[in-house]
Amino acid sequence: MPPPVRRKIFVLVLALGAALALVSVAHTGNGGFAPPEPKSPNAERINDSYNWISIFALAILVLVEGSLIVFVIKYRRRGRPRTAEGPQTHGATRLELIWTAIPVLILAAIAGFIFYKLPGIQDVPKAEAQGGPLRIRVDAHQFYWRFTYPNGAVSIDELHAPVNRVVRVEIHSQDVDHSWWVPQLGGKFDAIPEEPTKTWFRAEEIGTYKGKCGEFCGVFHAEMQARVRVESQDEFDAWVERTARQDLGRNEWVGVCAKCHGLSGNGGYGPAIANSSLLIQPQSLRRLLLEGQNTSGGIEAYMPPVGRGWTGEQFRALEQYLKAVVYKAAGNGG
Amino acid sequence: MAARATVEPYRPDWRQGRVMSWITTVDHKRIGILYTVTALVFFAVAGILALLMRAQLAAPDQEIVTKNSYNELFTIHGTAMIFMFIVPIWAGLANFLVPLMIGARDVAFPRLNAVSYWFFLFGGITLLLSFLASGGASKSGWYGYPPLSENFYSPGTGQDLWILSIHLVGISSLLGAINFLCTIHNMRAPGMSWMRIPLFVWAVEIYSALLLLVIPVITIALTFLLLDRQVGTHFFIPNEGGDAILYQHLFWFFGHPEVYIIILPAMGIISEVIPVFSRKPIFGYKAIAFSTVAIGFYSMLVWAHHMFSVGLPNFLNIFFMLSSMVIAVPTGVKIFNWIATTWRGNLIFDTAMLWALGFIAVFTIGGLSGIYVAAFPVDWQLTDTYYVVAHMHYVLFGGAVFGLFAGLFYWWPKMFGRMLSESLGKAQFWLVFVGFNLTFFPQHMLGLLGMPRRNYTYHEHGLWYAYNLISSIGAGIMAIGLLLFLINIFKSRGGPRAVNDPWLGDTLEWYTTSPPPPHNFDRLPYITSARPLRDLRRRIEEAGA
Repeated sequence: MPPPVRRKIFVLVLALGAALALVSVAHTGNGGFAPPEPKSPNAERINDSYNWISIFALAILVLVEGSLIVFVIKYRRRGRPRTAEGPQTHGATRLELIWTAIPVLILAAIAGFIFYKLPGIQDVPKAEAQGGPLRIRVDAHQFYWRFTYPNGAVSIDELHAPVNRVVRVEIHSQDVDHSWWVPQLGGKFDAIPEEPTKTWFRAEEIGTYKGKCGEFCGVFHAEMQARVRVESQDEFDAWVERTARQDLGRNEWVGVCAKCHGLSGNGGYGPAIANSSLLIQPQSLRRLLLEGQNTSGGIEAYMPPVGRGWTGEQFRALEQYLKAVVYKAAGNGG
Repeated sequence: MAARATVEPYRPDWRQGRVMSWITTVDHKRIGILYTVTALVFFAVAGILALLMRAQLAAPDQEIVTKNSYNELFTIHGTAMIFMFIVPIWAGLANFLVPLMIGARDVAFPRLNAVSYWFFLFGGITLLLSFLASGGASKSGWYGYPPLSENFYSPGTGQDLWILSIHLVGISSLLGAINFLCTIHNMRAPGMSWMRIPLFVWAVEIYSALLLLVIPVITIALTFLLLDRQVGTHFFIPNEGGDAILYQHLFWFFGHPEVYIIILPAMGIISEVIPVFSRKPIFGYKAIAFSTVAIGFYSMLVWAHHMFSVGLPNFLNIFFMLSSMVIAVPTGVKIFNWIATTWRGNLIFDTAMLWALGFIAVFTIGGLSGIYVAAFPVDWQLTDTYYVVAHMHYVLFGGAVFGLFAGLFYWWPKMFGRMLSESLGKAQFWLVFVGFNLTFFPQHMLGLLGMPRRNYTYHEHGLWYAYNLISSIGAGIMAIGLLLFLINIFKSRGGPRAVNDPWLGDTLEWYTTSPPPPHNFDRLPYITSARPLRDLRRRIEEAGA
């Protein structure tokens, strides 16, 4: 085979690789070569573990690919006849024992580091100075997140938390499997019905952190996104005492209903409902939200039981909002 | 030669037509070819599904396919690639090669062999036709976790047909596995002890043993799911007292050994190709054979590393992390031994060898990214993201499919009696090699940036868009490369005829004609080593000298 062709491809690959690296460096952050910049101690320790593994992985990568390339170049045929044989070595026991033992040692070093970091990643800190961790319950639904705070306040898709406070996140599911994941605040933990899990974070900076559902949960999986809004203790207190209740109806409409039915209820993936009299019939509406709809046998007519686990207050907030803002049938000024 | 006609069994006329002779065949070579060709068709179909997904994800917020269609695409892509392509194509190569490699007349149960092929074919057709079912094909992923796959959340018959198709293919795999085990254990040529069988046969032995052990487990899981959906039981429905995590255990108890069912035969092929094209014996035959057995054994002990985010007790997470790391050791042994095989060899870069070297290059990357996901706290960040998609394709495409092409280019002359074009083959290799890395390497970065798997779209621009676009372009390049293989096949029909032993091979299949006669061998040499053909060439040389 003429070598120039291969050399051209080789150069092309190198150029593309270099371009990739440049693109990454040009952007702020790590460009996807390590997990996102951690903003919570548990996420930070996961990144430490990642970097520790990388030391060994990169060394092995260079060793294996390097020796492969060197051997390929050095021992290529170079005009020797096809029948010419190399030395008929059948193995070397000592050498083989060495390259069995070294990986064992490397893996032991990796596992040891993980054991060392594990308590700091997994165990929820006691945080006695703060009166214990702030406990927030997460309920995963098709296709939204519902957060319940210790005082009974509820928010949808947006979790509020005070900065530098240990937050214990208790994860539940009301329908299918989901997974709670805010990369900068730690790893994924599944929401599986009847099998609650927990995790924690202590956000070190005020700001908004994006989260996504990690476990495929159905048609709107990609839109099942969460935000964690980290604010000062005062802001948080004001929000959880007052604003959360005022906004509940609107947040329920936007987070629970509008993803399928459209922001003004004019339909989207799901049918238009702005004119449906069901919106102002609390009993029937509640039944629909609790049981969902699965009548005609196709996924297109399916509606998830989005209201499972809701309190009376949550239903009332939605009913008021629907009546006041969404419902547009004749006679309602629509 | 004249004597052969008298031992051919009597065949009625209706079984001798061009089509009927294939439909009624019980010859292992013909069944092997049926398996291989059918599996390659499913490979093409499932690959087209993947191209549609890459088109949809090439840019943010696209609507090339609908949300539901996208979910069908990745479900059927995964299911078809695993159950209809890569596992059956190993059965195809094993069918063709194992009797030839061990010097047998056929497999132990030829009719059972034919039955297992037809179960596979109809299982695959069932899966593809499920796109036409009411409500479309299954949309709950190739792993079909309940409760999502239960009747309430996944109405329609697509999910039931998905279960049926895997049941059919499961029967096929079980029958095939029994056949291979009986053949390898009972029908080896005189002198062919366990330390003299080809390493590909070792791989098929463990492949079959694993299938026999784990296929019943997924059959149980899917039968329970079917009962939940159709009869009203609630094995996996949590709010009626069932247990959704039980399904995950059952599925992955099958699912992880399945990964090794897929990769071990590819490793077997690499262990055949590298020595022949290095003109050396394999470095450490015993180490490679025993590491195959070790990988098979440990593969049964690692399943819950797919479930680190479920919230298992700590001691289980730790156990499965350690067992997953242990399995890296025999895998590393293989890689080091292959590289040592090339040391001071006379390396001949025919297409089969390029694929084998490419296998080592990319499989190493897949193995190393596996260490990250085995460390369960790190896996909490990486699981269910594109990082895992990248890792798994480096192992399953970069590993199994590269190994497959090494095998196809190596044994094509034996199977069809014609040589494939080397220049087309090399062009295909480089296109697929470059396209593969462009497609899947950036997916590591996407996962680390936070892109979950199985999302029909994303809203982020910047790096997300860049990496996704590169990945989609790479998929296109790979597709062109694979198209060259199709062209190569058609061109080879008029190409040069293959001699008995075009590569100066080591193993017994090169002793007979290309393609072999129905009875495989007129007579066999007594086997004195793992390289009977080289022994034979030496003896002829010495006699001539």
